Amino acid sequence: MTDATRAAAAPLLARIGAWPGRVRPPRWRRHRIGLHAAALALLLAVLFPFGWMVQMALRPPGEVLDGALLFQPTLENFAALWQGHFPKSFLNSVLVSSLSTAASLALGVPAAYVLTRWRFRGRGRVALWILATRMAPPIALTIPFFLAYRWVGLQDSVVGLALIHMTFNISIVVWFMQTFFAAIPRSLEEAAWIDGCGVWQAFRRVTLPLAAPGLAATAVFCFIFSWNDFFFALILTRTSAVTAPVAITNFLQYEGWEWGKIAAAGTLVMLPVLAFTLLVRKYLVRGLTAGGLKD
Amino acid sequence: MASVTIRDLRKSYGSTPVLHGVSIDIADGEFVALVGPSGCGKSTLLRMIAGLEEAGEGEIRIGGRLVNDVPPKDRDIAMVFQNYALYPHMTVARNLGFALTLKGVDRVEIAARVARAAEVLGLSALLDRRPGQLSGGQRQRVAMGRAIVRNPLLFLFDEPLSNLDAKLRVQMRAEIKALHQRLRTSAIYVTHDQIEAMTMADRIVVMRDGRVEQAGAPLDLYDRPANRFVAGFIGSPAMNFLSGRIAVNGGASFHLDGGGPSLPLAAVPPGAHGRPAVLGLRPEHALIDPEAEAALEVTVVEPTGSETQVVGQLAGQPFVGVFRERVAARPGDVLPLRLPPAAAHLFDAGDGQRLV
Repeated sequence: MTDATRAAAAPLLARIGAWPGRVRPPRWRRHRIGLHAAALALLLAVLFPFGWMVQMALRPPGEVLDGALLFQPTLENFAALWQGHFPKSFLNSVLVSSLSTAASLALGVPAAYVLTRWRFRGRGRVALWILATRMAPPIALTIPFFLAYRWVGLQDSVVGLALIHMTFNISIVVWFMQTFFAAIPRSLEEAAWIDGCGVWQAFRRVTLPLAAPGLAATAVFCFIFSWNDFFFALILTRTSAVTAPVAITNFLQYEGWEWGKIAAAGTLVMLPVLAFTLLVRKYLVRGLTAGGLKD
Repeated sequence: MASVTIRDLRKSYGSTPVLHGVSIDIADGEFVALVGPSGCGKSTLLRMIAGLEEAGEGEIRIGGRLVNDVPPKDRDIAMVFQNYALYPHMTVARNLGFALTLKGVDRVEIAARVARAAEVLGLSALLDRRPGQLSGGQRQRVAMGRAIVRNPLLFLFDEPLSNLDAKLRVQMRAEIKALHQRLRTSAIYVTHDQIEAMTMADRIVVMRDGRVEQAGAPLDLYDRPANRFVAGFIGSPAMNFLSGRIAVNGGASFHLDGGGPSLPLAAVPPGAHGRPAVLGLRPEHALIDPEAEAALEVTVVEPTGSETQVVGQLAGQPFVGVFRERVAARPGDVLPLRLPPAAAHLFDAGDGQRLV
């Protein structure tokens, strides 16, 4: 191809997306390709440990630490988990997280509503003290909790652990939900009062449905915080209420580390977090309040 | 339907008083407009009637019942909010029927009443939509519909048209008035737009700084304003105010402060000779008359087609005239004006109260 024909063909080729030798892509497009490459590299770096764990979980037990790229995937590690105590621990985790989330919402949501809507003395201070409960390092609270629990008999119980998780989740609920409630115009509640609602009914029929996406996101955060807790679960449980993250450490033993089970259990523990994170993303972008008021 | 009686109502926020003893009587079926500049307390008063603000001192009675401590839900009132306050998560039909659902009205009955209200307001095709899918005017109609479906004792309107464009506002104004004439439910309508108040209300209550300045029929307020504030607030363009002195030498006349010819007066209070006063004259009452002695130095001429507005100076004081005829004056010209004594208002120079 001569230079002349190449030049003549350039506009057409550019339009169909092919770039002849000397015609360079426009600057914005080059810029975007670079950006995508950087994002992809970052993604791979972040996902690598997870991917590595998942592939370990799928290897035959004898070859878990084998470096070979090609292997026959198997569910043997998961089956081995199913035989032992792990399903019980997983169930404990589900119970503790669900219970603590439900309790935190039941107490925290009305508290957040009152802190947003009612003007009373010391309102700001109350809100700050609720947040302050989250600031204390867990280790500072562990020994008092441990002693108190031994005394009241809540040690090594699902309810006891859920209660502890509730204490640190309430502050999350109160602070998250205050923002969501504040975004709902007061006049909607006032309209509901005039339409015949009492304060509680207006909250239940108007405010809460409008705050539902925020409520869902908050619930997921509470669940994940409780699900991920290792520290309190390690100190306050022994046998019957052990949660999944603590159970994994039981695979690190004197006789050797059971890498296959560790990887399989890690993969299972990660699944709900992954699922819920996707859920939160969906809820957070949805704006329900659009259109009720003149903008 | 019900009458509303408000007696010596007071309210303060902290140490700032917002209502200083307001008393208003609203007859059964009457349409009353509360007007006044921003911060005059008209919205606070409306919200107190609705039960959304605690009543301070004084009494609010709806249909003879003292409601000071009655929660909004038990007052049997309906309110149209400035921002409409439609429930975004409900369809138009559910928005309209929400109050009836709460009352436990039968579902078939609710559907019938919603359908009837929707038909009156032209919303029948929109019943399944959510507020987010409606235009401003349609949302306004839904807000109106939510009020009329209930058949309440009293309608409260809090500047319901202020978010609409000018054309739609005029249309909705007529619709609200027609609706009121059909339903004859007592209504209180808050607005800062005196044209809205004049065109819609049976009676207007003009408020300023938490006090009632004057209450009366629209044309009474226009013809005999009780003070300078009401005179300036009602009417557009606003009334002209010329300061000067009253002279009584045989006939009564008014001497403008900037000099110029003395203006004849129809009536003056006794012993008014030499008293400083303010003469008020509506722009539309000034007449162009080649024989007249008062001279308007023209600064701006604004023709609107149907009339001509001329802005200028009369004896060094600002003056606006509105004329039905076309005026060919230019800035700098002098226009001879006759100011009819019968149309003039006299106010005290100090407290602004009407003199005669």
